Amino acid sequence: MSNSHLFLKSGFPRAPLQNGLGRYVCQLQRITLKFCKNNGSSRGMRDFIENHLVDFAKENPGIVVYVKPRRHRTPVLVGEYLNGDREWLSCRNSTQDEISKWIDLLKTQNGSSSSLRLRKMWHTDVPSIQGSWTPFLLRSPDANRQTLPSTEASQPFDIPQTATEKLIELFKQQKLEEGNAGDEILEQKRAE
Amino acid sequence: MSFLRSIACVMALAKPINTTGTVQTRRHFKRWVSPTLRELAHRVKKQGPQKPEPRSGFVEWNYRSELFAFGKRLNEEFQLPLLQTAFTQRAYAHQEQERQRKLGIAEADLQTGDNDQLIAKGAHIAKAYVEAYVKHSLPKVPAVGQKAIASYLLSTETLSNVSSHLGTKELIFSTEYPPSSDTLAQTLQAIIGALADSSGVERAFLFVRDFICTQLNQKDLLDIWTPQQPLELLSEVCNQRNLGDIEPRLLGDCGKNTILATFHVGIYANRQLLGKGFGENVQTATKTAAIDALQTLFEMHENRRPFDFQIQLETKNVRLG
Repeated sequence: MSNSHLFLKSGFPRAPLQNGLGRYVCQLQRITLKFCKNNGSSRGMRDFIENHLVDFAKENPGIVVYVKPRRHRTPVLVGEYLNGDREWLSCRNSTQDEISKWIDLLKTQNGSSSSLRLRKMWHTDVPSIQGSWTPFLLRSPDANRQTLPSTEASQPFDIPQTATEKLIELFKQQKLEEGNAGDEILEQKRAE
Repeated sequence: MSFLRSIACVMALAKPINTTGTVQTRRHFKRWVSPTLRELAHRVKKQGPQKPEPRSGFVEWNYRSELFAFGKRLNEEFQLPLLQTAFTQRAYAHQEQERQRKLGIAEADLQTGDNDQLIAKGAHIAKAYVEAYVKHSLPKVPAVGQKAIASYLLSTETLSNVSSHLGTKELIFSTEYPPSSDTLAQTLQAIIGALADSSGVERAFLFVRDFICTQLNQKDLLDIWTPQQPLELLSEVCNQRNLGDIEPRLLGDCGKNTILATFHVGIYANRQLLGKGFGENVQTATKTAAIDALQTLFEMHENRRPFDFQIQLETKNVRLG
């Protein structure tokens, strides 16, 4: 974000009026093409009006098209949206292809995109389906019956094994493996 | 600024004619410029902020095309005269008649209709369909709750929001601009009435479903309707459904006798956990738990199955009269 965008309105990508859930409504409600009849900078706009405008209007009966000739001024596209936004586009020296692409953009937007800074490329009203975590979540029912203070509950979960405990464990394991044979050896030694 | 610049230019041009010999441009503004600008600014401030200008006052405005496009945009077939009537407020029609009478135009053949009848018709249709839709989508919610949700959908705020997003604001013939939210809501109802007259009641029902009922999407139903006295209601519901007597039990607590105390209460019926809730004391926690249990029993939890906006309610299920 640069300094020139400090005062730009910011927001999240949203569909106005749950658009598309029931039925889709094209959000561009009217478009005005302003052009000059003899200036060179309007040539692309004149070509567009001559070749494509009638088809465009037939394909999109929901968009009101106004054509406004004016002398010696830059050609301009003005789109007005259902949410009240108005988008102004200069088409100086644009070709008719560029103009049809721009019009296509206006048609598929739901507001003036150039006057909105997206804070994120996504947005959700429901960040978690499971619900938020609380300390009570998945807690053992035993915790309710404990009388506090209790030494067991006060101990950390991860006490490392001491060397003595390790030795005792090794000794016990050895005894188990040797079984009765070990006992006999012990008795022999005692007899000696 | 351009004004100042032009003054400076004029002064610069004017100077050499007066003086002969050395050309010296004037380096200052005339003494009258500052007080004049100050006075102009003062007058603008006194006038207050400029009122929004209606779009219909622009050169590029064709009301007929706008009406035609309005219907096409919504994918509906309207009779244009009927649609225009739907956009004409009664106060505006009276004002027009008065104006014509003052100008001496004969009244008989220039009666402009107003949308009063269409409003009544549209409101009736919208109410019937929304109630049927809510009843169908939330069958387990008691009648009070269904009524609250339906009246939320039919409230002036919701309707005016829908109406303004359909682009009625510029098309309304009304005495004030921008039209008030009441006017916007009434116009939407009149449009529904006009649609019923133009293409039949079924289309009007679908219009209500697609534009008004969809406003329920992703809404927290508890914001719209919260049961009053949830514990009593819960025990009543449990008795009706033979779930047994309800019993609140403490699931856990934390920080007793401090200002940050928390209690976690679960509500059981017949050894089954119905719902649980938190609170800063046991009473609040029990109430929250009861509301949670009711939400589950009424199937209006926030993680419920989403509303189906593609259903076609049979016309016989919508009570029109």
